[in-house]
Amino acid sequence: MSRAWEAFRTGAGFALLEHARNRLALVLVVAYIPVWLTLEHWFVTPAPARFLLRADGQTVTVNGNHLTMVSGAVNTVTLIVGFMMFMTTFKALAFDRRLALAGYPRSCLLLSKVIAMTVASALIAAYATVVVCWYWDPVRPALLALGLFTAAVSYGGIGILLGAFLRNELAGLFVIIMASLLDTMLQNPMSNTGGDKQGLQLLPGYGPTQVAVAGGFTSSVTPYGHLLLGPAWFLAMWLFGAAAFVARTRSHLPATNDPLPTESAA
Amino acid sequence: MPATPYALSVRDVHKAYRSRRVLRGVSLHLEPGTLAGVVGENGSGKSTLLRVLCGQIAADAGEVKRRGSLGYCPQEAVLNDALTVDQHLRWFRTAYRLDGTGRAEELLEELHFAEYRHTRVEELSGGTRQKLNLTLALLHDPHVLLLDEPYQGFDWETYLRFWEVAARLRDRGRCVLVVSHMAWDADRLDVLHRLRDGVATPWNAEGQPVDAPRGAVR
Repeated sequence: MSRAWEAFRTGAGFALLEHARNRLALVLVVAYIPVWLTLEHWFVTPAPARFLLRADGQTVTVNGNHLTMVSGAVNTVTLIVGFMMFMTTFKALAFDRRLALAGYPRSCLLLSKVIAMTVASALIAAYATVVVCWYWDPVRPALLALGLFTAAVSYGGIGILLGAFLRNELAGLFVIIMASLLDTMLQNPMSNTGGDKQGLQLLPGYGPTQVAVAGGFTSSVTPYGHLLLGPAWFLAMWLFGAAAFVARTRSHLPATNDPLPTESAA
Repeated sequence: MPATPYALSVRDVHKAYRSRRVLRGVSLHLEPGTLAGVVGENGSGKSTLLRVLCGQIAADAGEVKRRGSLGYCPQEAVLNDALTVDQHLRWFRTAYRLDGTGRAEELLEELHFAEYRHTRVEELSGGTRQKLNLTLALLHDPHVLLLDEPYQGFDWETYLRFWEVAARLRDRGRCVLVVSHMAWDADRLDVLHRLRDGVATPWNAEGQPVDAPRGAVR
């Protein structure tokens, strides 16, 4: 087994373990997603709502309650993954620097966190999809899950960026909560009758919401382009965060230091 | 004239944070097999000096030369609360590219915290966290060891054990530099420097300046 693979495997394993031991995030996943979606199921009107599915260039009329649950699922997964990645990045800054100083490859460190985030996002998106399916039958649940997954990774990237630059936990959490709430609220025609206006395409949750709605309510529209928007947001945010980490640390991979002449020390 | 063999050579290092000049020309010359100390008041630039020496931050001017591998123990325990002691050791063994367990077993025994190897860091006491903090710096048996107030939180027994470990390292030809805000331990050191006004001056074990040429050589 090569050194690089061993370093990557070790880092990815511990990054995943760290997520698994994040009790608050686990509680949020297990309790917050079903509670949030159940409340929406109970209290939101099923009156028809018109949603502009830009992927198809058409407006679809769907059950308002179901549409709000899709929007709520996007909201919950973005909040949780954004929060997880913010806290992980924020708390691990000094530890990651120490690992880099000890010679741990920075590329492995950065990549292993991405892998851990991807796995966590996939599991959380799948869980949220199962909760949605408990209440109604989305037309294509796999595409709905994919939409939620891309939403999760986009906010995972935002969490990483905030964790790399903010020096205050509360500020980071506040930004993630407000961004996620605004993002989903502005796109949901149930809360914003102008949800079809131009400019909403710039929101990080735009592509994922289009995919999730297509998965929930249509049988033929597969918005491949929109599928890439969430990962593109992640990539852009992650690149800024990774650049900050690289700029603040130096490579300490084995150098050609002279061997210490310990014999002469006697 | 042949150059004195060095483990760590620091020449005229300067470092400023904006307009605040913290280091104003620090010079040190430490041989292999030296147990050295740098003392200074709070805010005198000791931690900045160590961070420059270990390469975490760049000096504005001057030169730092080191021979052999480096170990660095930061003042605050830099650990991951979610992981156990063993998991830390495994991760740093990978970082240091050690094939075996390195000095892990020996250090767990020497510092008396082997019983916590499966305990998560968040559940450890301050003293045990500090032991792990120190162990991670020593794991790969570095040639040059930089320790920033490494015994904070240690009880008396562990404090004495720390100095035994440091002395053994010195006896094996390692260069150990301990930074502290107090000069209590001056008699345990081969070389003592006082950092004041951004400059390191050699001092003797009685806590008095040494009238010696620049740079203390053992």
